[in-house]
This record gives sequence, structure tokens and C-alpha cells, in this order.
Amino acid sequence: MAVSDRELAELTHLKTPQKLDPFKGVKKLPLEEYFTSGHRTCQGCESALVMKLMVKAAGPRTIVLGSTGCMYVANTTYYSTPWVVPWMHTQLGSSGSAALGASAAVRALIRKKKIKDEPINIIAFCGDGGGADMGVSGISATLTHPEYNCLILMYDNESYANTDIQLSGSTPYGAHTTFSPPGTKKRIMHHRWKKNFAAMMAAGHPTCRFVSTVCMSYPVLAMNAVRRALSIGGPTFIHSLDPCPKGWDYDPMLSHELGEIAVETGIWPLWQVEDGKLALIGKTRDIADNRFKRRPVRDYLLKQGRFAHFTDDDIDYFQAKVDETWKKWVVPGVIPIAKEVDNDAPPV
Amino acid sequence: MGRLYAVEVVYRGIFQKTLAKNITRAIVLAAHRDGKHGISFGRYGDSPERNGIPAKAFAIVGDDEVTLEEGMAKYEPKEVDVTICVDDTLCKGVESWAWYGLQPINRLTKPGGTLIVTSLETPERLIEMSHRKDTPYKLAIIKAAASFSGLWVYKDDHTDARILGAVARVLPELFSLGSLQETLKEENPKTGELLAVSAQKQFDRTSTVGVAAGEGNTEVPYTFEMPKWTEMREGIAIPGIPAGAAIKDPVTGEVGGFQPERNPTFKKYLTRTMRPVVDFEKCIKCELCWIACPDSCFDVTPEKLYDANMAACCGCGVCEAICPVEKCITMVNETAFTDNASQWQAFRKDAPAYKSWLVTVIENRPDRSHGFRYRGQYEEQIKQEVSHG
Repeated sequence: MAVSDRELAELTHLKTPQKLDPFKGVKKLPLEEYFTSGHRTCQGCESALVMKLMVKAAGPRTIVLGSTGCMYVANTTYYSTPWVVPWMHTQLGSSGSAALGASAAVRALIRKKKIKDEPINIIAFCGDGGGADMGVSGISATLTHPEYNCLILMYDNESYANTDIQLSGSTPYGAHTTFSPPGTKKRIMHHRWKKNFAAMMAAGHPTCRFVSTVCMSYPVLAMNAVRRALSIGGPTFIHSLDPCPKGWDYDPMLSHELGEIAVETGIWPLWQVEDGKLALIGKTRDIADNRFKRRPVRDYLLKQGRFAHFTDDDIDYFQAKVDETWKKWVVPGVIPIAKEVDNDAPPV
Repeated sequence: MGRLYAVEVVYRGIFQKTLAKNITRAIVLAAHRDGKHGISFGRYGDSPERNGIPAKAFAIVGDDEVTLEEGMAKYEPKEVDVTICVDDTLCKGVESWAWYGLQPINRLTKPGGTLIVTSLETPERLIEMSHRKDTPYKLAIIKAAASFSGLWVYKDDHTDARILGAVARVLPELFSLGSLQETLKEENPKTGELLAVSAQKQFDRTSTVGVAAGEGNTEVPYTFEMPKWTEMREGIAIPGIPAGAAIKDPVTGEVGGFQPERNPTFKKYLTRTMRPVVDFEKCIKCELCWIACPDSCFDVTPEKLYDANMAACCGCGVCEAICPVEKCITMVNETAFTDNASQWQAFRKDAPAYKSWLVTVIENRPDRSHGFRYRGQYEEQIKQEVSHG
């Protein structure tokens, strides 16, 4: 099939790979599991839940590529796997290139008639270390290739959790990690604010048709984001916040609840950008429309051992920073550019 | 050559990491005060640890440096003088994450050695849980609930000092109580005096029960051959897990629902310290436990009930937390159970009998605490434990 240069540039708008209708609620979910039991993650691991729901949403015709991290090491030790669908390991920073390469390979196999011409989902996952820190260039490059259908999903447990909780670019302010142990002389050892990674991917890649944040405490929303990302065409990106009982230091039974609190405090806004249009989703939408009052961040911080050293001052500072994202940013909690810019008088 | 001593601490990963480190470290320092040489270390194969998955830490001590060197040349001790089990549910066996299969808690305990367990259970119950051994050994119990905390905030409830006091009692050749107390004071400038008192008290009240050869759990721990790399497919590929299938009602023979196939090489029988007990009559079929379970442990029955499969459940408790119905799912201490059978099958075969079993099991559950829920919780718990003696 000859394709003109102009058509090539607009290819994703010409052809969507498949139609995946959104699930209409928990009761309408398929029973089949494609990431099953017998993985070696912690009790109450939300990232394992990401794997389970991600591939449940995608269905059986899916290839999963996993870069190094908990979801590689804990799931697939020697001669053992919990995956029902094909899965392959890829290196720490290379989820982007793996997704692109696998997508190109599947297309070539279809073109050469070596496999049946059917929609095959390509999902590459990475942790916050492998994605937001090491994998940025690869993911970014992939998101600029509109002709390859693939999803890159980043499960963000806010540290290098697999190797026993080193600080990452996604670790929140002040958290206790192996690299930032609070001391008696100096309490706060981590002063950087969490990287706003999904917004970076959305703002930086105008031809990427779908970017979304999710949290598995809202499973149907999250699964529908995966289905949209796999059916819209071209490379897509999803960023999931995963409470981590090991690194955040909390009783594993609180995993689900902490995800909810992260959203209800406005610390983790749920949103999506589809074809350049941004929408706040679920509880985050309710907060923005004043239908739900943001919970104080104290509710979130005091439930986690990694913030046990926080004084009231530290909590107030954290609250003020979160308030700022809601009151001053051009889109609440999403685009970190202050609204005041709009009101500036033009230079005379 | 002098004598080589070895002590192992079997503990729940992350939850008891600091506790295990405190114990093995103090053993080495106390023995050093008595002129010996030693080293303490966590088992490499258990790292990185995962919440709740069993792990081991060791203390190796020699009368002289050459003896210690000889001990250190081994990857881990082949036998130990004392096995310390800081959570009684581990008596059912140790299934660490980098090793395949299940190992008895007393596997490394020397003939005539001692197994020290922190537990509120009776010696009879602990012996019944522990696998039988060809040689006799001794059992000592530290009366306490398992001390669980997390990676960053430590629950300083003196479990470490008490265990060390017990070690000084059962193996006086390793270190004296006096050396232990000096070590505790030096290592803990603020709390050392109190820790030394706790060590003394436990030293005074520790006694052992003899366990005869062949006494204990007769179950054969599950094992399997690991396939060699030469048996793998091209590209070092291995087969995926097959898709699951519908399940059959044991009474009516009705087929429906779904049971996923599961990884045959890692069953979570012993990652668990609690298990969900489901009151099927209360279930409103909201499906929340099923969708929120990170381990996909719930089998969906033909009538759309959710049966927690004990080969897959790791006991996190998310299902109990998310269930909207009161007392529909209850987490119960693993020591209350002797098998891993399906609760739903028992319910289907005899609902009234299941109901009465359920009530007994829930009412008799010893409490458990699984780490940090809110700030100040450990201090409250310690106060409670002290007031209960």
C-alpha cells in the first residue's frame, strides 16, 4: 500500500487499531486472569494489582514487556512466571524502545504474513525509576512515533522499591528512603518535589493521542484508561500511583485506602489528555468542581512510616505545596504553570 | 580449632528486618565481650526482602579467628545451635522467595539444639505445627505476640532483648548474661538499662521442653525439581501459565465461575500470617475483594461467591479492609488452621457445620498487628502489652 508523506504523518488519524469498549462497572469485568497468582511481591502490593488489571483490561491478545524493577524481579525469578500472556524482560531504562521495537516487529510479521493480521496489544511497563528517571529519553522518543501502536505504563511506587527503597525522582518531599534517612541533627533529607511525569509526557508530545494518570483504588477508571490507550492508535502513556507497603511503611491492608486518600487529598490528581483535550476524572473532577472538599494531607502523611519524622511544620509545608498546585496552577494539579501569567499586562 | 557457634533468626521479611538485625548483631557483640569472634549477616538469597515473605539472618561466632573464618567460608551454616523463630506462624515451614519449596523451621537445628519461638500458643500446638525431625531438639517459648513493624519505624517492645536473654540461658557457652547486658547498654544509650532488665527477666524465666525424634507435623513439605537451563526452550523461554477454567460445585455438580491456573512453583502457603475467613451467607457479591486482591487469590464459584484460595493468598488483608459488609471477611491468625482446604467447598457440603466452624475460628483468633497504621500506634500497643503483663 503506497502511502503519501502527508498521509504518513497523519496515519494514526486514518486508522485506529481496534475498538475496545469501556467496562461499565465492576460487575461487567471479565473473569479471566492473564497475570495470575504465585508472584513474589509483598503482601498488599498495589503494583501487582496494576499488572493484573492492566492485562485483564487488555485481554488475551497481548504482549507484555517489563523493564527491570519489582514487577520483573519479584514476578519472574528463575524458571517461574505468573504471566498467562507472553512476557519478556527488557533493561531498566528501555521500556520505550522495547515497546516501539515490539510494535514494529509485530507489524513486520503481519506484513510478511508470518502471523495473522489481527490487533495485538503491545504494553511495556516500567517503574518510576526505570521510567521517570532512566527511561525518559526512550519513552519520549517512542511517543513521537505516531505510526506504532503501543502503551507504556509506568507503575510509580515513589522509590527504587525492588532494591530496598532508594530515592527516585518520583519520591515525594521529605520521605524517608535509604538515601534520605532523617537524622537527629537534620530531619528532612529530601527536598525535591515529585516529578510531574505524566504531564511532562502529555505536554511534550503533541502527536501522542492519549496520556492518563490512574490509581488502582479506582479499578474501573484505570482499566478503561488502558482500553482507551490500546484502541486509540499510536503510542500512549499511563502513569499509575501505587501505594507500596514496604517503602511507604504501612500495614498492607491499607493499600487500597491509601490510594483513595492520595486522590482525595489532591496529591494524586486523576486526569487524561485525549487528542489534546484534557479532562479531570472521578474524584479529582469533583474536587475541581467543588463537589468534594479536598481532605487534608495530614490524613495521608500520618498513615505512613516514611513520614513519621514530619513535624506539624513539615505537614503544613506539604499542605501549602499541594494547595498551590490546586489554586495557582493553570490546570489544577496538572500543569505546573502559575495562572497569574494570564493576568500579566503586556509590555508597553 | 575452637568451637564454632551458629544461630539463625527466621523472620518475616521487612516486618521484622530490624528485629532480626538487632538480635544477630547483639549476639556477635556480646560473644565478643567474652573473647570470641563473630559476624552477623542477612541471607543474600532473601534480599531484596518482601513484606511477610520469610527471610533469615545469621550470627556465626568462633572461639578464635581461624574457626570463624572456617564458618564464614560457607554460604550459610549447614546446622545451627539455636534457631530463633520470631513469628510462630513460621513453625509451619519456611518458604522464602528465592528458594523453591517449603523447608521445616527446625531444618538447620542441630541434634540437641534449641528452637526459640515467640508465641502465645502452647508448646503442644507449636510442636504439632513444626515438621518432625529425625533427631531430638529442645523448644523454648517467649510468651509474646509476634513483634511486627516496618522498614522505617521500629516497634521497640523489647522482643529483641528478651530473645537474647533466652539465648544466654539455653546456650551459656556462647555469651554470658552479663556480657549481653553490657552490650545492650552500650548499643542503646537511652533504653539500654531497661533492655538489660528485660533480658534478665527472660533469662530467669526461660525453660525448655524436649521434642523427641519423630515428634511433630508428619506432612511432607512440598518440593519439586527445578528444570535445568538446558531444558528451556529456544531463547531461554519458558511456558506461560495456562488459562484457567470454570469450577464445579461439589454438591450439585454445577459448572461455572472461574478459577485461574496458578504458578506451580510458588504457592503462598507460608507467606501468610493471617488468612481471610469468608462468611458466604453475608456476601452481597459486590466483587470488590476479587478485583482488589493483588494475588488473584479469589476463585469465582458458579453462584458468584468468592473463595480465597489458600495456595495463592498471602494474607495482606486488603479484602477485609475493602469489604463493605461487616464480618463478611475476617482475617484470622494463621496458627488457628491446620490445612489449606477450600472454605467454599466446606460451606457447600455442610453450611451449618461451616457456620459453627467459622464462629469458633473467628472468636478464638489471637490478635495480630501488621505494621504501621498511624503515628503513635506502637507506643499505644506497647502500653497495652505491658498492662496485660
